[in-house]
Amino acid sequence: MKSAHVQHLFNRVGFGISPKELERLSKKSKRKIIDEIFHSSIKTTPLKVDLSFLKGLKPADFKNKERRKELQKISRKKVDDFSIAWVDRILNPTEMFREKMTLFWTNHFVCESRNILYAQNYNNMLRTNAFGNFANFTKIVSKEAAMLAYLNNKQNKKKSSNENFARELMELFTLGQGNYTETDIKEAARAFTGYNHNFRGEFVMRRKHHDEGEKTFFGKKGNFNGDDIVHIILAQKQCARHISEKIYSYFVNENINKNHVEEMTTVFFKDYNIEKLMRFVLLSDWFYTTENIGTKIKSPVELLAGIHTIIPYSFEKPKQVLLVQRLLGQTLMRPPNVAGWQTGRNWIDSNTLVRRLRLPSILLNNAEITYSDTGDEETMVTDLKSKRLKRKAFIKTKVAWVSFEKNYKEYSNKELIPFVLTSEINSGTQQLLLKNLSIPMKDFCVQLMSLPEYQLC
Amino acid sequence: MKRRDFLKQTTFASSMFFVPQFLKAFEQIATEKFGNKKIVIIQLKGGNDGLNTVVPFRNDIYYQQRKNIALKENETLKISDEVGLHKSLQALHNLYEKGFVSIINNVGYPNPNLSHFRATDIWQTASDSHQFLQNGWVGRYLDFTKGTPTKAIEVDESLSLLLKGKTQNGLAVTDSKTLYNSLREPFYRNVINANADAHLSEHNLGYLYTTMIDAKSSAKYIFEKTKIKAASNNYPKNLFGKQLKTISQFINSGLDTQVFYAGLTGFDTHANQPNTQARLLKTYAESMEVFVDDLQKNNNFDDVLILTFSEFGRRVQQNESQGTDHGAANNVFLIGKNLKKQGLYNDVPNLANLDANGNLQYEVDFREVYATILDKWLQVDDKAILNNNFSKLKFV
Repeated sequence: MKSAHVQHLFNRVGFGISPKELERLSKKSKRKIIDEIFHSSIKTTPLKVDLSFLKGLKPADFKNKERRKELQKISRKKVDDFSIAWVDRILNPTEMFREKMTLFWTNHFVCESRNILYAQNYNNMLRTNAFGNFANFTKIVSKEAAMLAYLNNKQNKKKSSNENFARELMELFTLGQGNYTETDIKEAARAFTGYNHNFRGEFVMRRKHHDEGEKTFFGKKGNFNGDDIVHIILAQKQCARHISEKIYSYFVNENINKNHVEEMTTVFFKDYNIEKLMRFVLLSDWFYTTENIGTKIKSPVELLAGIHTIIPYSFEKPKQVLLVQRLLGQTLMRPPNVAGWQTGRNWIDSNTLVRRLRLPSILLNNAEITYSDTGDEETMVTDLKSKRLKRKAFIKTKVAWVSFEKNYKEYSNKELIPFVLTSEINSGTQQLLLKNLSIPMKDFCVQLMSLPEYQLC
Repeated sequence: MKRRDFLKQTTFASSMFFVPQFLKAFEQIATEKFGNKKIVIIQLKGGNDGLNTVVPFRNDIYYQQRKNIALKENETLKISDEVGLHKSLQALHNLYEKGFVSIINNVGYPNPNLSHFRATDIWQTASDSHQFLQNGWVGRYLDFTKGTPTKAIEVDESLSLLLKGKTQNGLAVTDSKTLYNSLREPFYRNVINANADAHLSEHNLGYLYTTMIDAKSSAKYIFEKTKIKAASNNYPKNLFGKQLKTISQFINSGLDTQVFYAGLTGFDTHANQPNTQARLLKTYAESMEVFVDDLQKNNNFDDVLILTFSEFGRRVQQNESQGTDHGAANNVFLIGKNLKKQGLYNDVPNLANLDANGNLQYEVDFREVYATILDKWLQVDDKAILNNNFSKLKFV
């Protein structure tokens, strides 16, 4: 396989590739490489933070207001820890493709929870099902404690329905806007009544709140429960199409090619097997055409991870990972809303672009970021005066330059360019780079990463 | 060259949408036909309790529902026989007395959403309750007027959905100097200069370069045009005061910006509301008074309208923690010099007629407020921007 194609493949199913790996894999066939990628993601390594504070807790502990507040505070902090641990996992993945796929599902089955137990379970559920069967996946999602709370399905009862989950299930998770009626939503909501969870976050069906009556959904009549609704939805080819479109736009190109998506839809509709669909995409010829290489705008997390693949670094104060994520506009565990992060050009405005361009020098040269801390809406401001108007933060990192030097020592600055930049290069910039080849390789690499071209993969 | 190949190449070329930079400069002149009115949008973030802001002190239900946190008549600044402003709003009351304030009550929308984030999105995108729009109404205003990023400025670290359009974005600035300086580093100066005459494509790479070049020229424009001394030094010494001071500097320095956006955080008063809200309202009111005064001194108040909203109001019945939970319809303030209707624009809420959650019902759709501002103040086609025809109010 052509080395540029291997590189493209690894940019999309992972976060880049080392020169050594690239050389090794370029000698193999496409099918062999893809088999290897899937094989190395067979396992699921759950991501966990220390939850020992939950040991021995009983529902009664939450009755006391002070105690509850204290526990909620610890839990929120743990969710931040989880976000930090997750970024660390992405930077040092055990199963690369599975992590990338988990990021995709995070922005599909969008959910947020401040209960660390539910949040952690949900996140690992996404990881486990990342390549599984979409029907099972959707049913499991509908029964997760974090989701039951996030889209208010816990409050969805026979006598007082809440349509939030039923609506998003169809609008965002399966069919896409405009492919169902308001009646479908009402009837689906009835089928999901009584869904709840216990203290430990395990699914519980509260019979007395479940509507046992007959429902009419997509022309079918019956005493449906939530699982039945999922089956009826998935019997619509539109569902396979909607998911295929999202996969295409995440892994291939945001400009949808309808023919390619139809090919995917046909494959996916057969059995909703996610792994088979992904194999089909990666084995297709169109995945490797010029318009799909180096044209996707990296998400902030992809940007952080991509730099790390070339020049490994670690944060001296792990909490600063949260600050960096926030300034770039993507804090894991804190999606903006149920529609998730808007990707592509939406990552880019004047401010985020300037920060992204300066990110390599900030991470690798201990440069300074100026920011003002406005907090978020949920944080009660108790003392406006003591809040400092502006803070300056030095992002402190440890940079493994040794690793970079070892990996790239055989190459010249000119040869380094295609390792770092996979997009076309603007002609003015190209000339500028070629004039600058005599500077030390470290500096040259930071410069390459500080270009608009590096925002693409 | 074969004819077929020639055709292929020309289609390719035209799809690249070449726009030399000097042509873009001409485009900007074409947009100048739009007016010079400015709108400053303030969000009281977290959901301000409107009922304890504009207080119906003759209403029994109000006192029944709010045993510990209701304001007594003598704790308000009277604006009518039945209604008073929260006692911390003295500075706003001063503006009110001068006829600079209009209060629209019961502003909301059907099927109100009670999540901060979602409700904020709804207000910012001017969407229906169940509609997810990916751009804000100010962003769409920029699209419509082909406005440069400096036409809409958010005084914050990152750009809200409100200022993001389909093709144009506004600019988030707290400190134009930092933004200006970061792109003035020799490396970026060289990269930008090296590509200054380049034909940038409409593909992502072209978009990135355009954004970078725009960021630099916007930062340069703002930095060089802004006169530090253009604003008074009397603003409250906190983040919100500083935001308003920055806006005043921008306006008084003659920037071409038409929309400003800033926010005051902390209104999510689930517990111990009285002190928190009093302090925040004081900050708000004092900042507004200094701001208006500052604009007047510089003869700019005629052209500025200030809109204050919150993503939702709060539950009529207080909770057990001396606070209030998320609610629905709320009041909106307009501050300006030549308001057509001063004072209370409409009746205060009917506390006997609440929705199923015990929240106030809306009477004025918030998009009617936007439609009025777009149509009558900024003088653009509100229907094209709001994607719907909303009736207009009569405050300007």
